[in-house]
Amino acid sequence: MGFISMTNVFFDDLVINFGFGTKEEKKSFLRSHENKSVYMDLTCYDPAEFYAEFPQLKGVFAALFCDENKKIEMHFKERSEAVLQRLNEFGFSPIETTILSCGFIFPRTIVQIINEAYFALEEGVAGKEDINRAMKFGVNYPKGPFEWSLGKELYVKTLLQELFEKTQDPRYLPCKLL
Amino acid sequence: MNIQKVVVIGAGTMGSGIAQWFAQEMCYVELIDNSSEQLQKALSSIHSSWDKLVEKEKLTSCKVSQMKKFLEIKSVENISKDADLVIEAIIENLEVKKELFKKLDQHFEPHTIFASNTSSFPIELMAEVVTKTRKERFLGLHFFNPAPIMKLVEVIKGRDSAPKICEDLYQWFESRKKMPAMCKDSPGFIVNRVARNFYGEPLRIVETEDEVKMKEVDSILKTVGGFKMGPFELMDLIGIDVNYSVTCSVWEAYDKEPRFAPHTLQKKMVDEKRFGRKVKHGFYKYD
Repeated sequence: MGFISMTNVFFDDLVINFGFGTKEEKKSFLRSHENKSVYMDLTCYDPAEFYAEFPQLKGVFAALFCDENKKIEMHFKERSEAVLQRLNEFGFSPIETTILSCGFIFPRTIVQIINEAYFALEEGVAGKEDINRAMKFGVNYPKGPFEWSLGKELYVKTLLQELFEKTQDPRYLPCKLL
Repeated sequence: MNIQKVVVIGAGTMGSGIAQWFAQEMCYVELIDNSSEQLQKALSSIHSSWDKLVEKEKLTSCKVSQMKKFLEIKSVENISKDADLVIEAIIENLEVKKELFKKLDQHFEPHTIFASNTSSFPIELMAEVVTKTRKERFLGLHFFNPAPIMKLVEVIKGRDSAPKICEDLYQWFESRKKMPAMCKDSPGFIVNRVARNFYGEPLRIVETEDEVKMKEVDSILKTVGGFKMGPFELMDLIGIDVNYSVTCSVWEAYDKEPRFAPHTLQKKMVDEKRFGRKVKHGFYKYD
C-alpha cells in the first residue's frame, strides 16, 4: 500500500478521519468538526498533544504502516463500538492499546529501524537487498526494512521529524536518503 | 569455488553449530579446541541432534552415518594444513584472535581462506597479522545462532579482502540454501547495527520499569508488527547483559552516536544482575 491521502467517513454524529495529512491539516480538520466525535489516524503525530487541544477527538489509531494482516493500534478516550464496527467493515482489525506515545508503538519502532537501514545504505555498508535479507534471515523479521518503507517514506520521515521536534533528541534525525 | 575441507576453531556454541552445518553439507570438517572436554561435548551434542532428526524421520540413518564421517574433532597440534576454509569462532578477545591468526597463517597452505565469525571486531584489525597474500584471502563470515538453522551468513569484506573471493563464497553459500548478505567491514555489520532500535525504541516508549507497559509493547509488536518475539521477552532470552554489551560496543564504535545510545534501564538491570531468563529475572520474572 502506497500513499494514502486524508479520507473521511461520516455517520450519525461521528466521523473517522483516515490517511496521511500534515499536522496542520489534521488540526484544521478537527477545528472544522467541533460538533462531532472524531476518531483519527494519527500515525505520524503525538496523540496526547491532539487530545489536549481538541476535546472532540475521542479516539486515535495508526493505520499508515498497516500490513496485509490489517491489524492497527487504536487508543480510545471514548470507546465506540460503532467505530470499531466501521473499521472492521473497512478490513481493519483494531488492537486496543493504553499507551499514548508519539507514533504509537509499532510505527515508532519501525521508523527507527528503517532510518538505521537508510543510514547503513548511505554509508555503503550493504545494498537494500542484502539489508532486507539480513534482517529477515538473521533475526527473523517478518519483512526487511526497505520492504516496510516501500511507498511509505513520507510517513517515515514525518514521524521521525515529529519525534525530533518533541524530544530534541538527535537520535530521531532522519537520514537524508529519506 | 570448491570448498571440500573446512577447519572450525572453537567448539563453543557458535563453532560447533558452524561445524555441524558444514558437515551436513558434506564438507569434511575438523573441529578444533584447546579443551578436549569441550570437543567431546560438542561432538556428542552434534551427534545427538542428528540422531534426533533420524528419530523424527527428517533424515535417514544412512545420511546421518555419512555426516558423522565428515566431522572430526582434533587437538590444536593435529590440524591439517590443506583446508580450503578456516573459520575462527573463539572468544571475543582481539589480541587472542590476532595471536591465533598469526600462527594459522604460518601453518596453512597459501590457498586456504581465513574467516572470522566475530561480531565485535573489525576484520582488518585481525588481518593485520597475516601475510600480504593471505590478507586477500581473509574475510568475515558471521553466522547466527543456531548456525545449522539460521539461514543468514554475513559475508564481510575486509579492507584487503579480494572481492572475487567474497563473491564466490557468497554464491557458494547461496547454492547451499544459506542466505548470505554481503557487507562492508563496519561496526555491528548489518544485523547488530540495524536491530539496535528494536530494543532501544521500546525502552524509550516505556521509559520506566512498568511490567504492564512492557507486556503491551511486546504484544503490539507481535500482533501488529508480526515479530515472532517482543523486544522485552527477546532481551530476556538473549541476556540483558549480552544485549547491553553489544549496544555499548556499537555505540562506542560509532563515537557515541545518539541513535545507538544504551538506555539507563539496561544499565540499571545489568548493575542489579537481572540478566533475563538465565537468572530467572529480567524485565519479567520466570519460575
